Amino acid sequence: MNDTAFILTLAAAVGAAVPIALAALGELLAEKSGVLNLGVEGMMLIGAVVAFQVGDSSGSLWLALLVGSIAGALFSSIHAFLTVTLRANQIVSGLALVIFGTGLSTFIGKSIEGKPLDTDFTPIELGPLADIPVLGPLLFDQDPMVYATIGIAIGITLYLNRTKAGLALRAVGESPGTADTMGVAVAATRYVHVMLGGLLAGMAGAYLVLGQVPSWSQDGTTAGIGWIALALVVFASWRPLRVLLGAFLFGFARRANFWLQGEDWAPDIPAEFLSMLPYLLTIGVLVVWGSRDLRLRVGAPSALGVPYDRDER
Amino acid sequence: MIRFGLERRLERHWWQSVLTPLLSILAAFAAGAIFLLIKGFDPITVYRELFKASFTSKFGITDSLTIAVPLILTGLAAAVVFRMNIFNIGAEGQLYLGAIFGSWAGLAISDGLPTLLGVGVILIAGAIGGALWAAPAAIFKAYFGTSEIITTLMLTFIALFLMRYLIFGSNSYWRDPESTNFPQGKKISPEARFELWGDTRLHWGIVVAVAIALVVWAMIRFTSLGYDMNVVGSSDAAARYSGIPVRRTVILALLISGALGGLAGATEVAGRAYALDPNGLELGLGFTGIVVAALARYNPFAIILVATFLGGLRNAGVALQGLPGDRIPVEVSLMLQGAILLFAIGGEIFSHHRLRITRINQALPA
Repeated sequence: MNDTAFILTLAAAVGAAVPIALAALGELLAEKSGVLNLGVEGMMLIGAVVAFQVGDSSGSLWLALLVGSIAGALFSSIHAFLTVTLRANQIVSGLALVIFGTGLSTFIGKSIEGKPLDTDFTPIELGPLADIPVLGPLLFDQDPMVYATIGIAIGITLYLNRTKAGLALRAVGESPGTADTMGVAVAATRYVHVMLGGLLAGMAGAYLVLGQVPSWSQDGTTAGIGWIALALVVFASWRPLRVLLGAFLFGFARRANFWLQGEDWAPDIPAEFLSMLPYLLTIGVLVVWGSRDLRLRVGAPSALGVPYDRDER
Repeated sequence: MIRFGLERRLERHWWQSVLTPLLSILAAFAAGAIFLLIKGFDPITVYRELFKASFTSKFGITDSLTIAVPLILTGLAAAVVFRMNIFNIGAEGQLYLGAIFGSWAGLAISDGLPTLLGVGVILIAGAIGGALWAAPAAIFKAYFGTSEIITTLMLTFIALFLMRYLIFGSNSYWRDPESTNFPQGKKISPEARFELWGDTRLHWGIVVAVAIALVVWAMIRFTSLGYDMNVVGSSDAAARYSGIPVRRTVILALLISGALGGLAGATEVAGRAYALDPNGLELGLGFTGIVVAALARYNPFAIILVATFLGGLRNAGVALQGLPGDRIPVEVSLMLQGAILLFAIGGEIFSHHRLRITRINQALPA
């Protein structure tokens, strides 16, 4: 077995895991507030196309990432308005967000399709840590967004479990009526967390065009990552650190073809079938972890998907 | 101080359910105009050409109807389950499987059969293919409560790669052996195709699609399965108490939905593409079906109208390429579709609720 190829694949899987993890962490925040947002793919596309435009004209990677994230947040406010203020069906609204996001991003991005972007995130070696065998290239010789993603996951864990705002957020997701009585602003909490979710989804899309794929294309950039992120939240039982672990698994499934195709012992599987891997994995994971009975036991927010109406409490 | 609130309407009028979609279309066009202006296009010209291209000439109208054929079927595919709060968003993948099965039947069985029989075989094979592709999602949902939203979508990606494999990745039965440089699907024989209407591109599939809309309406309205579907849709618990087999109903509904998506793929094979076309996702007919169904409020007859309208919109995107000046991206129609759907969802609440504006008089301290 060719060890270097395997380790290189693992290291690439960490990079591929970043957008999945960011999008899933954002969705986790929205779902913790009780709002299911199926529009992840749409928000990612908007973040990606805006980030590409900004990166292309300014040459600044970080400005592009920032503006792309903000675009994702603004785009997600449509979903917040429809589902929180107008109390529309969250599923239909999320789907509409994907369709609108796909159309809008393709329309905006028509002029830049296929254009290469010559900026890229450069890996930062974390001193001697990078020389540790296997773990070194995997965790300590990555681009800054890998470290940032790990930081964000830890931050969200602390926020949910150690802060008052995090407690209020969980109350809104579990029992909005009770939270309202206790003086928590239910609608505002939901708006903020849906938009934080949009921010992270936009960031995920931005990272994809800036660091992972060479150019912008509507169907090639996200390729269903937004949907995989939705399944990942379920798989991770709404726990941020498990999201990281799951994202690595999916990142590996996305990169495994590079490794398998170069191995002598690996059966000659056509590329198309290897590309199916992450999607098959998603179904498998969802069937096992997403079953109705298990979901409630592992911590799905009780009020997930239910609009809150004070008058009909 | 003025407070805005939403108040449930006590009575609802029929015109409200017509007005809401119409207003959402208008609002979407207004929103689309903003993006067109940003991109430097004159929205009035774009919209005028758009309608002229799709709805004023004979060929415009027949082309719109040609695209309406698969859109009616994918719209029905979404409608039959969406109204039960089951969200099969994988009609796109079921359509691919319908095309794979349909083109296989067209190549293997229909050759030499009379047209009526040959096309019939393609349609049946397509429906079976679509239903089979929905089956895993149906079974996982019924037995494990797995979200059909994500499984049906994941199956769409898998179907896309399967289709690419059959044309690009292998010397499969579907691939035209003559096309080595640019792989294409093998064409079905002319006898196995829908007859065209005169010199237009419109084919008899439109009659089939309208007839199926009627059948779906009758099934929902008059059969016991339709009744069971309604009860399961409004309340799982109520259905169980009244002895309705919930699992079986959910599975059947999803299989019917998948079969309708598969039929859409089969009509594309028999009426337009005549072969397995691996560029399925660019068309996005399955996803547009969701917009069709939502805008038609899941009503089979309204679906026919909405499908023709959205078919025209999609069709016009291509026709707009002929305009002088800067090329307007085809995607303008996709963007408008999304906007229409968003406004329809937002507008939906106003057919159940009305805006209540209350003035709160605050006593001022003397």
